[in-house]
Amino acid sequence: MPIANLFPTCLADTFRKRIVEATAEVLRRAGAEVRFPKGLTCCGQPAFNAGMRREARRMAEHTIRTLERYEGAVVLPAGSCAAMIRNNYAELFADDAEWRRRADALAARTYEFSEYLVDVLGVTDLGVHFPYRITYHPSCHMLRALGVDRQPRALLYALHGAVFVELPDADECCGFGGVFTAEQPEISRSMLERKVANIAKTGADVCVTADPSCLLHIQGGLNRAGVRTRMMHIAEVLAFHPTT
Amino acid sequence: MPIRPKDAIKSALSDPALREALTANAARRKAARARAYSTLPEPWEVMRERAAEVRAAVLANWDEVFQRFVENARRNGYHIHLVTTAKEARQEALRIVSVEARRLGKESLLIAKSKSMVSEEIGLNKALEAAGHRVVETDLGEYIIQLRGERPAHIITPAVHLRRQDVGRTFHEKLGVPYTEDVAEMTATARRVLRDVFLRADVGVSGANFGIAETGGICIVTNEGNGRMVTTLPRVHIALMGAERLVRDMHDLALMLELLPRSATGQQLTVYVSLLNGPRRAGEDAPEERHLIIVDDGRRRMASTPLVDGLRCIRCGACLNACPVFREIGGHAYLGVHGTPTPYPGPIGLVVSPALFGADEFGSMAQLCTLCGACAEACPVEVPLPELILRVRAGYAPPSPPRPGEPLPPPRSKPAPGVPWHLRFFLSVYSRVASVPALYKIAQRLAAPVMRAAAPLTPVPFLWGARSKPVPPEPVPTPQAPPEPQKPAAQEQKRSRGLVEGFAAALQALGGEVRRCSAAELPECVLAELRNRGATAVCAWADDELPAGLAKALRAAGVRFTQNCAEAAVGITGALAGIAASGTVVVTAAAGKPLRVSLLPKAHFAVLPESKLVADLESALALPELKQTSTAVLISGPSRTADIEMTLTIGVHGPEEVVVFLVSG
Repeated sequence: MPIANLFPTCLADTFRKRIVEATAEVLRRAGAEVRFPKGLTCCGQPAFNAGMRREARRMAEHTIRTLERYEGAVVLPAGSCAAMIRNNYAELFADDAEWRRRADALAARTYEFSEYLVDVLGVTDLGVHFPYRITYHPSCHMLRALGVDRQPRALLYALHGAVFVELPDADECCGFGGVFTAEQPEISRSMLERKVANIAKTGADVCVTADPSCLLHIQGGLNRAGVRTRMMHIAEVLAFHPTT
Repeated sequence: MPIRPKDAIKSALSDPALREALTANAARRKAARARAYSTLPEPWEVMRERAAEVRAAVLANWDEVFQRFVENARRNGYHIHLVTTAKEARQEALRIVSVEARRLGKESLLIAKSKSMVSEEIGLNKALEAAGHRVVETDLGEYIIQLRGERPAHIITPAVHLRRQDVGRTFHEKLGVPYTEDVAEMTATARRVLRDVFLRADVGVSGANFGIAETGGICIVTNEGNGRMVTTLPRVHIALMGAERLVRDMHDLALMLELLPRSATGQQLTVYVSLLNGPRRAGEDAPEERHLIIVDDGRRRMASTPLVDGLRCIRCGACLNACPVFREIGGHAYLGVHGTPTPYPGPIGLVVSPALFGADEFGSMAQLCTLCGACAEACPVEVPLPELILRVRAGYAPPSPPRPGEPLPPPRSKPAPGVPWHLRFFLSVYSRVASVPALYKIAQRLAAPVMRAAAPLTPVPFLWGARSKPVPPEPVPTPQAPPEPQKPAAQEQKRSRGLVEGFAAALQALGGEVRRCSAAELPECVLAELRNRGATAVCAWADDELPAGLAKALRAAGVRFTQNCAEAAVGITGALAGIAASGTVVVTAAAGKPLRVSLLPKAHFAVLPESKLVADLESALALPELKQTSTAVLISGPSRTADIEMTLTIGVHGPEEVVVFLVSG
């Protein structure tokens, strides 16, 4: 049985635990043995993106050390955190051969959740009945940093009873950008308004995404604008039971 | 009084007209780029990877390529001025202008200038004006903002922030013409006013898109024809070029020219591609003196930092058009921490501005990015912009502007420029807490409720979202329709067309016309088109440079030939070659082949034997004749602009009609 070490990621774990539970549930149903490595915190992306590499490195080293104690794949329900480990750790440890080797080893077994389901477990249809009009926001890091787009779409197209509507200008950033949203809240909100307007245009009941950060940011915008569309993480959708 | 960056951003965000203009710009540029990529001879990914390699190879062997370029340019007769700082660049330009002023016995010269970002970078206009000269920007967008006393808001479309009403008012106030909202009329006004400037200018100043090491020439791409005017008509031409803007040879140039216009404006090729190899040779009508000021201004220093890949940039502006932040705030809101403006806004500006001019002032600009990566995706030379922006944030840009004698590599700036102290403090504490899982658990338990409670008080949407419970929505009746499958974009099948048909279709798409006739029919063919236009006077290449018997037959039919191209309705030229893929006519300067014949009249008639058609740009640039002349020009259709509200207007400074007579047999 393939082992999936679940990295809950700080935002999901702190602000929307349901994403983590759903991820575990779906991975199990898809045939993985889910483990919860003890001591995982944050991959270091917030500090890295702010330009604070010493602080980012502190968190990255902690993450690497923690995960080295566990065999098997590392699965994250967050495209941007997966991209941090896969793409940015190499840069962070560029001047340290030993740490770079350890970072590369971790990167090689790190997967974003939908990517792991489709590419590693070979699952697309989990038999989920989801009787809603849905659309998909492909987060920037999923789409451009990881190049993962086909997989979440395959999973969503395979939902039973759902109507998929393409989101206009889907590939545009929602304006979160980590530190950016705290640093430039006005620009961030302005970008968000465009995303919210596009989501409203779809008339979707649910807008699915695979990044908790975009999810919470966009949900905030939808709430403020009074748009009834709900943001759901792709794991939450795949773990959905119409009866519950 | 400098504007604080925060205030500039706020005022940009609260300007609905600006937002509308920027939104339209982004949407149209994005669509135009996508359309233009579909006409590339090879897949976009393949071509841009090669383009990235070409530029990276130049930077990897910079000294060698640079030396070769400078030697060849000097051999061609260029006056080469190598300068290391912006100040030196200004002084050098001023010196050239002063020498010409003394020669002419004038105090003040008229200087006609086409678009150059380097001239913005070094503050050239101000310096020339302070010395008593009159500088006129001749690119329509630049002209408008010069009249308004503004800075360019975009590196390609400087007046992107203005509406037609703004331009109408500016022209009314500054030029005394009646107020109009008609873009064609405004363009005609600019044509009339600037035509006089072109004809009287003592010195022409231009930028340079590329320097070609193999030939020692420079390449300039323009659409309106002003670039041709200022590099053809004045006796002295000064070109400004960033020291990194080199390609090895014509083969590499062809690749760059396939990508640059497509990425910049969505054009297959700009209307004019000028290859300026050097000053005029015997009998030609190009400038007697060509000066090239090669500006370093921090570029070599940048090459010694981890930001070196930013020097690949060919200034197409695609990253600006792709950037969601640029779309919100526009170019004028990109300011240094003390409000110092930068000529380079947008994603590439976040890298280049601090790398060239110092992170103490411009490092904080790097915060104007969500790291979404749309810029890197749009870049035709694969500049890894998000990575470079992250490096600026990490302090890899030098702190201060370049100084002569500074060691390489330069010192690094402080990390996290522009991140306010409280965020920095938070992240610093967070990084420590996150390294101790037990502590992290406690913090996490506290953080969630506190931040949720604080959400309504903050402007941060993320926290508002964090208040929502992940409740699934109310179920709706199960719809029967299956999910819409994703269709991969159907690969457009490229039909192979004959060269003649291909050429005609491409030129017609640009608003040009094609007449096909045999050698015997040619005079009658040309006469018919002259009659259609009521043209009695033409200026033309010398009789023996035109197809045998053409000039004679036209004269016999009563057509008057004049040397003064400015007053002729039609200019008649031959052509060195035609490019089928883009409907392009290639002309070269030579005795008996004045450049102005294809430039000054309202209509340009080009006679092109079908046998001179080549398939593509690369084949055309391989023609040896292009290296044996002071000036070669690739002309693709009538001159055009879209500088006012992106409204396409045909006929700016160059001809508004291009008719190509394709001669068979």
